Amino acid sequence: MSVEQEKLLVVKDLATTFHTAGGDLPAVGGVSFDMERNQTIGIVGESGSGKTVLSRTIMGLQQRTNVTVTGSVLLSGFEMVGASEDDKRKRWGTEVAMIFQDPMTSLNPVMKVGKQIDETLRVRLGMSKVDAKARAIELLELVGIPSPQYRYDAYPGQLSGGMRQRVVIAIALACSPQLLLADEPTTGLDVTIQAQILNLLEELKERLEMSVVLVTHDLGVVATRTSRIIVMYAGRIVEIGSTREVFAGHRMPYTRALLESSPKVSNASHTRLTTIPGRPPNLLKLTDGCSFAPRCSYATDKCRVERPELQAADEPGHMFACWNPLPKTRRTVRK
Amino acid sequence: MLRYVLRRVVMLIAICFIISVGSFYLIHLLPGNITTVIEGPGASPENQAKLYKLLGLNKPIYQQYFVWISNVLRGNLGTSFISQTSVASTIRAALPIDLEIIFLSQILAFITAIPIAMRSARKPDGWLDRAFSAGSFTLLSVPTFIVIVLMVLFISIKAGVPHTGPSSYVSFSQDWLGNLESMALPAIALAIGSFVVYYRVLRSDLIATLQEEFITMARSKGLSQRRIMWRHAFRPSSVALLGAAGVNIGGLLASGFVVQYLLNIPGLGYTLISAIDTSDYLLVQGIVLVVSVGVVLINFIFDFIINIVDPRISRE
Repeated sequence: MSVEQEKLLVVKDLATTFHTAGGDLPAVGGVSFDMERNQTIGIVGESGSGKTVLSRTIMGLQQRTNVTVTGSVLLSGFEMVGASEDDKRKRWGTEVAMIFQDPMTSLNPVMKVGKQIDETLRVRLGMSKVDAKARAIELLELVGIPSPQYRYDAYPGQLSGGMRQRVVIAIALACSPQLLLADEPTTGLDVTIQAQILNLLEELKERLEMSVVLVTHDLGVVATRTSRIIVMYAGRIVEIGSTREVFAGHRMPYTRALLESSPKVSNASHTRLTTIPGRPPNLLKLTDGCSFAPRCSYATDKCRVERPELQAADEPGHMFACWNPLPKTRRTVRK
Repeated sequence: MLRYVLRRVVMLIAICFIISVGSFYLIHLLPGNITTVIEGPGASPENQAKLYKLLGLNKPIYQQYFVWISNVLRGNLGTSFISQTSVASTIRAALPIDLEIIFLSQILAFITAIPIAMRSARKPDGWLDRAFSAGSFTLLSVPTFIVIVLMVLFISIKAGVPHTGPSSYVSFSQDWLGNLESMALPAIALAIGSFVVYYRVLRSDLIATLQEEFITMARSKGLSQRRIMWRHAFRPSSVALLGAAGVNIGGLLASGFVVQYLLNIPGLGYTLISAIDTSDYLLVQGIVLVVSVGVVLINFIFDFIINIVDPRISRE
């Protein structure tokens, strides 16, 4: 217990099930991992693999209606699963904060951006109006918004997408959280802005001594910025390990398929990208077998009837879930 | 923003011009001859012709309009042929009663509709939401005149609250408490209809707003439910509410007429109906003009408020 209390985040057997009209939908199933302080980990997977639901479940943002969450999320030793809204609220913003995917919809359109930063400072930290405004302007400056005094009075609609995402980051950082959950923070942005925002996050993480969970479908994003990577498929972890190991020594065919389907700078121009055949499974109709089996060229009969559990690979901390893993050769990965 | 307002003001002037032409022409659309109305059916043709000339009716219609509109702009709406009193002063005496009824009814409607819609939207399909959704439909389907009759029966007659029955209007300068009592029934009757509209519009917009990502974002900042409802959800949800209020208040002038007629309250509505009864055309014309311009002004004001509430509108 004492060891776990020192960890920033310990997730155990976390499952999120939505009760829909079509039946129970296991968006996240049996996820376990943990996280040290001052670490950046990446959660990758296709759209619909449960990354966003996982990050929201860790934070406990799900509304109570039609959702069941089981398992455990220990945040600095505090159990978030089943905690009251009041208890969670005390930790939101100050211990754990989230950067949302789409800066076009995550800011209140009829409230000045400065006020949206202010508010957190005043409500959560009890700052005075004057102090909060000064701090909000500082935060705007911190996230690299030019002439912050002037932008303070802007409405979100008057800012570009990149600017808005910077504001969202400023709001998330306002109360100096220990853990920052960044849910596809750059998906809605131009490629040129993406790198800026990611570099900003990395820099702020160092400066403010935070831990960051970077959720993305883009392996290029996590390759150089994370120490560990979690690969998710159909709501479950299919491979987890150090970034180096996941890239160079991955054992799960899905991880390889993901890696092969992302473009590399070193490719000759007009190189055709590999795609993963088929679609992610319908979570309402999951079979007992491996959920990737229908799309996997290595699949055997066993894969279709029995789900592989995570098993340890050679390197400590590296685990994968596969009956027919790729051989243990080192692969050269061009980033 | 300034350009937007200027554009609206130009529109406003144009609409008022059209209204003025319409209400001016109204008199000419009436059946029968105005001189017969003034002099009675037994008047000789010579006298009628004399009066016709005196009233300027022999001049071209556009000249008549310019004479009339320049008088109107100076606040002169003419003198009633029937009562020989100035139309403007009759309207000045009656209008404050309408304004008071509308003002009171809107205060009542807003202070009930907003908090109840907030509660409903927090738990859609909860017991409170179900009760008010069903109840509001019931209220919506009961016409105002039934409500008035029932209120007179139960409040004025059975409960015996003073100054609430028909023909018991007390002016504000006479006795302000009695005035409020006599205004209670009409204000409540109009408030019921407004409440239903405001409650339903705000409730459905709030439910939609609460699904928005920025509400989840506000929660993730650790704000209280109360603060999220009032500071984040209410304002973006109130645009349709304000639009509905603008239209509704204009419409209240008309339904106010029914209430005034039933309770003998000497407001504009009551005055208009008696003016129609007595063929007091100039008074009818004056009231139509004032009410139409009033409706346009109210909508203009609400448009303006909507712009302040949601700055996205004037930017587009």
